[in-house]
Amino acid sequence: MKRLQDVEHHETEDLYYPTMCKVIGAKQITEMEKWYELEMPEGQSLGHGPGQFVEVSAFGIGEAPISISSSPSKNGKFELCIRQVGTLTNVLKNYETGDSMGIRGPFGKGFPMEKLFGKDILVVAGGIGLVPLRSLINYVLDNRKDFGRLIILYGAKTPSELLFTDELKMWKDRDDVELHVTVDQPDETWKGNTGVITTLIPSLDLKLNTTIAAITGPPVMYKFVVMSLKSKQLPDDQIYLSLERRMKCGVGKCGHCQINGVYCCQDGPVFNYVDIKPLEEAL
Amino acid sequence: MECFSLLRSDVPALIDHLGDFGEVIAPHGKGDVSYSFEAVQDSCDVVLDYNRTLLPLKKMFLPPVEKLMGFSLKNESYEQVDVAITSRVFFGVHSYEMQSILRLDHSMLTGSAESNYFKRRQSSRFVGISFEPDEFHFSESVGIVIEEMEGFDLFLNEVDGDFQLYVLTENGQEMLNGFDKINITEPEIVEGRHFKKKIRYHYNRLPRVFQYAYHSEVWADVASRCVGCGACTLTCPTCFCFDVQDEVEVTAEDGIRQRSWDSCMLSTFAEVAGGENFREKTINRTRHRLYRKFKYITDEEGLPWCVGCGRCTAFCPAGISMPDIVNELIQEDEKAQYHRTVRV
Repeated sequence: MKRLQDVEHHETEDLYYPTMCKVIGAKQITEMEKWYELEMPEGQSLGHGPGQFVEVSAFGIGEAPISISSSPSKNGKFELCIRQVGTLTNVLKNYETGDSMGIRGPFGKGFPMEKLFGKDILVVAGGIGLVPLRSLINYVLDNRKDFGRLIILYGAKTPSELLFTDELKMWKDRDDVELHVTVDQPDETWKGNTGVITTLIPSLDLKLNTTIAAITGPPVMYKFVVMSLKSKQLPDDQIYLSLERRMKCGVGKCGHCQINGVYCCQDGPVFNYVDIKPLEEAL
Repeated sequence: MECFSLLRSDVPALIDHLGDFGEVIAPHGKGDVSYSFEAVQDSCDVVLDYNRTLLPLKKMFLPPVEKLMGFSLKNESYEQVDVAITSRVFFGVHSYEMQSILRLDHSMLTGSAESNYFKRRQSSRFVGISFEPDEFHFSESVGIVIEEMEGFDLFLNEVDGDFQLYVLTENGQEMLNGFDKINITEPEIVEGRHFKKKIRYHYNRLPRVFQYAYHSEVWADVASRCVGCGACTLTCPTCFCFDVQDEVEVTAEDGIRQRSWDSCMLSTFAEVAGGENFREKTINRTRHRLYRKFKYITDEEGLPWCVGCGRCTAFCPAGISMPDIVNELIQEDEKAQYHRTVRV
């Protein structure tokens, strides 16, 4: 048990002050989602890893946990993509180039890249689950020779909800990326796959001993994707999931993000499936 | 360890003397039946016999509402808040309360050590006092006896209406310098103070009970009676969950960001934007509260995170009792064991 006398004053931190970051690019990319590029002050670097998150704040409204969407290899600048779904995010909708956003972080554990080097990476993204996974995808692409295959499964409700469509085209055109996109409800222009994301899994040809799966999506998606991967015989410890919770403080104190005894903001948001399997509240 | 005798009538003089070492904070009566830790104005107002304060001493280190920063909407900027380090003497603290502060130290300083808490916690001295357990105290069942002196600088043990004063630290020694109303004496063991409420098992057996209690029927019964008001967690001395809100002034130019105590028993505690609620049902929340006290942190630290103060039970409007829940889980576990044996 940590005691007061074990702690020196210099070891304590002002945990709740944001760093004011300039918005240097902003674009509404779908009806619900806006993309932002931000810059830290004085040439600082955010220093994040793929899968980590920040607390974004707008004074007068509050803070919310938001996934970092850019690869760490992009120096000095970072990107967010925010769905307008709550009070804060609907205010952030009005933020444009030149405005300042309060940023705390990066927080949490992202994807353990040291375990991913040399492996085939299977990305399974449902809806805005692509946002955090884009940081992983772009990291793999920026360091392409350090990884094996890159297989991306991406599902959205409708074609108009597809994110980062320019990048999807780029990925589609690369011969070192295997991209499979599906939508639940096609429109008359849609020529691709139709159906939930798990329909893309059975036909995959995976090398079981070298494949690492990275899954992010709406809460309802995880169980079904994990079941599909298990029926392909992918070992449990090769599955990573990034979970959404109300990570209010980001520093393991406020309690809102707890999954049983685990703080999602500290031990997650990216978890190995083996570690959350025993947690009843996880999936 | 030195021990002195001190007459009850000389306690106000001791409190006045302690004022040399900082602001003295002690239990005061509030209305007819309630008590509160307040700064001492007149040492004669300090209550020596009390069952429990409504709010725990935690409020002095992790305030119910705390300003984290001031901000300007116009300039998109903020001002830091300087938490002052002041010397304070906490007088008349019960052993379970002191133990709750030691647990709170762990919660706030482990991992990222919070400077706000650390600054408030520094330069604090503690003078303990014994108490007569009422029908709600059960701290002995979680390993905290009335005379547990860990964390205190001085401790007053009541013997036949007067006190024995134990000196436990150098700070305690210093606090008695120049105070002449005490006489050296032999420590006595006080008989006859008994806990009326008990958990049937020793606390070191509880993690095993909780290991198998996740799907117990007890939770549904508790949930059916719980009104979800959060009083249990808001009066709990080891709960530390909080929420953060921004408050804007009417001018809409400036405002403050503040945090306030929050409760995992409130229905929207684990809800995210978009409406997904990860502990939507009362049954999930009642179980979570108990697991926070007897399993999750306990697995890591080896101690129950409940200190047996009895507040959650005494102040529950639905009469839900923490030790009764634990005893029911024990009973159910015993039944399950019996059935397992019979079947084999």
